[in-house]
Amino acid sequence: MVMVTKVPARPRSGRPRRAARLLLAAGLTTASLTALPAATATAAPAAAAEDGKSGGTTLTVAVSQSIDSLSPFLAQKLTSTSIHRLAYEYLTNYDPKDARTVPAFATEWSSSADKLTWTYRIREDSTWSDGKPATAEDAAWTFNKMMTDPNAATANGSFTANFAEVTAPDARTLVIRLKKPQATMTALDVPIVPKHVWEKVGDFSKFNNDRQFPIVGNGPFVITDFKVDQYIKLKPNKTFWRGAPKFDELVFKYYKDGDAAVAALQKGEVSFVPNLTPAQAAALKTQKDIKVNDAPGRRFYALATNPGARAKDGRTFGNGHPALLDPAVRKALFLAVDRATLVDKVFQGHAVEGEGYLPPRFGSYFWKPEGAQRRGYDPAAAAKTLDDAGYRKNGDGKRLGKDGRPLNFRILCHATDPNDKAVGKYLQEWWGELGIGLTVECLDSVSDPWVKGDYDLAFDGWSVNPDPDYVLSIHTCGTLPATPKDTGATDNFICDEEFDSLYARQAVEYDTAKRADLVKRMQSRLYDTGYMNVMAYPNALEAYRTDRIASITTMPEAAGNLWGQDGYWSWWSAVPAASAAGSGDGSGSSAAGVAIGVGAAVVVVAGGLLLLRTRRRATADDRE
Amino acid sequence: MTSLAWERRRGSAARFWRTYRTHRAGLYGLAGLALIALLALTAPWTVGADVQSVTNAPGTALESPSTEFPLGTDQFGRSLLGLLIWGARISLLVGLLAAVLSVAIGTLVGVLAGHYGGWPSTVVMRITDWFLVMPTLVLAIVLATVLSRSMWTVVLAIGITSWPTTARLVRAQTIAVESRPYIERATALGGGHRHVMARHVLPNVMPLVLAQTTLGISTAILTEATLAFLGLGDPTVVSWGGMLQDAREAGAVSSGHWWYLAPPGIAIALVALAFTLCGRAVESVLNPRLGVGR
Repeated sequence: MVMVTKVPARPRSGRPRRAARLLLAAGLTTASLTALPAATATAAPAAAAEDGKSGGTTLTVAVSQSIDSLSPFLAQKLTSTSIHRLAYEYLTNYDPKDARTVPAFATEWSSSADKLTWTYRIREDSTWSDGKPATAEDAAWTFNKMMTDPNAATANGSFTANFAEVTAPDARTLVIRLKKPQATMTALDVPIVPKHVWEKVGDFSKFNNDRQFPIVGNGPFVITDFKVDQYIKLKPNKTFWRGAPKFDELVFKYYKDGDAAVAALQKGEVSFVPNLTPAQAAALKTQKDIKVNDAPGRRFYALATNPGARAKDGRTFGNGHPALLDPAVRKALFLAVDRATLVDKVFQGHAVEGEGYLPPRFGSYFWKPEGAQRRGYDPAAAAKTLDDAGYRKNGDGKRLGKDGRPLNFRILCHATDPNDKAVGKYLQEWWGELGIGLTVECLDSVSDPWVKGDYDLAFDGWSVNPDPDYVLSIHTCGTLPATPKDTGATDNFICDEEFDSLYARQAVEYDTAKRADLVKRMQSRLYDTGYMNVMAYPNALEAYRTDRIASITTMPEAAGNLWGQDGYWSWWSAVPAASAAGSGDGSGSSAAGVAIGVGAAVVVVAGGLLLLRTRRRATADDRE
Repeated sequence: MTSLAWERRRGSAARFWRTYRTHRAGLYGLAGLALIALLALTAPWTVGADVQSVTNAPGTALESPSTEFPLGTDQFGRSLLGLLIWGARISLLVGLLAAVLSVAIGTLVGVLAGHYGGWPSTVVMRITDWFLVMPTLVLAIVLATVLSRSMWTVVLAIGITSWPTTARLVRAQTIAVESRPYIERATALGGGHRHVMARHVLPNVMPLVLAQTTLGISTAILTEATLAFLGLGDPTVVSWGGMLQDAREAGAVSSGHWWYLAPPGIAIALVALAFTLCGRAVESVLNPRLGVGR
């Protein structure tokens, strides 16, 4: 590279020299275009390498999803809730082998005969990271806060809505009295916070828990530092009752670009990368010291239609397309989606075709439509459905709406998710055949139009917990926003009486078989409302460096995922490889070398362009 | 009168071509442009609009180059060679439109400011300076983010951010032209502002504008590619920058699929180079002082 940069400086005859420089400038500009991800990849890890030198082992995990809030009362995104799993204890946890409930903050629990009073025995060997003992009083305060302050119920309010009273008769006993029976009492996914810290907080809707570090908690890790979209750093909690984690530091480092994260993994700057593309996984599989984990995921990936956004007060809002309120239109759209092709082409086999709602991994709750109920891929039937419903094609082959104008829908897509864009291309063509136009609107943050109801269709997806209560609750009328100005926990404004009554029944059903049956009926009802089309259950496609991580627990243990588990198992169990401690240095210097190289390339490009410009200026200024 | 004017114009065009022919680099640029334009214009017959279709894609995902797909396939199994040719249409179109828009704004502002002078000129030129010191790419990114994602947004974003240089050049030329005696004569004969600007100033700044447009196109194509690469273009339209972005999203960089990355990058470089070579040749032909000794 140095040799090349000298070419324009060497005196030569006029014309060829200029041509050479132009060629160089143009070529390098393209080089800078393609080198950009590499540049971002190498710029960030320099800091990581430095940290590694301070002694000890660091486990660096590449993440891309932004933190919505570090307050457990507000956080809903997967990254945030995964980190809360590490920093706080929950009453119960899930076994990594088979996801059955195991003791966590509570060691044992029992319910009264009428199932309305639950008594939890709180463990004695849990202390907050500031040294104070963690007691039943903290748990009681957490639940009471969520019951009395609607702002504290934003994220997990569905768990406490049915609580009548929560008390702590002594430091080791927690008593919860219910209004009516509740099936999720051994799956309360609510982080317990320290009362002595949180009772000083004023407005729970605004407090994001990111002012003072380290953040007081009693989980296996303690959050020590956080910079928005840069990193979250955690240190092990040495006094954690299950045993301290093996790594000396856990860092979640932000890579907004997937390829940059993979490059960082290859260079050893990060030890773990989730959400790989099929091409990345295929390339990483052949590399030394890298293990690719391809496991059935716990997510569903769906198309959601705007059912006419509305609030609890009955007012409607947003600008969803009126034609989508017609079940025939929705049915036709879904009939024209070839889910098998999407799994085959977009996910390249790293997914399972979408069926009902919950992923097949949760076997006891899994339901899929059979026979006449099932909406298979049938474009002819889709066209016929539209014809029969009175949506005729005009001379240009465009399907006309009831107002006589061509049907054109918008779909809200996550600009950071390549799958959304890829599926969008297929939808455009499939629906184009039906004569329906589709505009793919990709945004970095889809929250704003989503909350305002300003969308026709949207790409939707949720991670499902072993207990499906939460992902079912987000389709009930109770989660609609109070007024059009508020934000509700609702997924996409679905409100259906039959679904709600089934939800209420499953919530009070303690018999697991009967509850599973009710959950299946709910999925059936949700399927029939036709507001959602679950297209696929994407696999967890992730990779880690075996020269950094000697062993790590997947969940479920056989063919399970590492990122986004229900519990802290993966990071808590990760054992550093023997070579991990000192390996930061070597790769650090090579990364520095690459960084210098890329930097030099950028300087040369900038210099070349500048030279070009000044020469242009010179000729222009010579003009009369 | 008109035939005389045409005679004169034909003569000057012939003179222009004679001088242009002596610039070998300019000829190479022109030949390159003609070739690329031909490929882009005949694309509907050679590769067809069907090449964009993901549902009818002929290959499997990310195939290496073969006889069937000389440049391999993308993640949907579409032929990359076909996409490259089809993408030339959007890249060239956006480049041309954006450059024309930018030069049109610049010429209008420049001629008005140069002609009227005084405080309006000062005000307009301060606005121009403000745009001149704004980093073009940053401003274009902001515009492309705020407005909805479409090809026209990109054209607008590039056009609005890159006009100040033209405005400054044209204003200087306008002032120079207006100081000539024949403008005074035209005014004395009763020529109004509009007459002077349209009939005397504009034809004289036209050569400058032409050269500026040619050079602006290569910048516009590069900016379009950059915006598309950063994911700010229309994701449903195939363009060279968009192909680079698709390649990045498919993980082609880290998995070493160079045949996905290199061709669009080289194509961008070649087109930008061709336009620059032409533009510089035109510039040196039209500027007598530059022409000597080169």
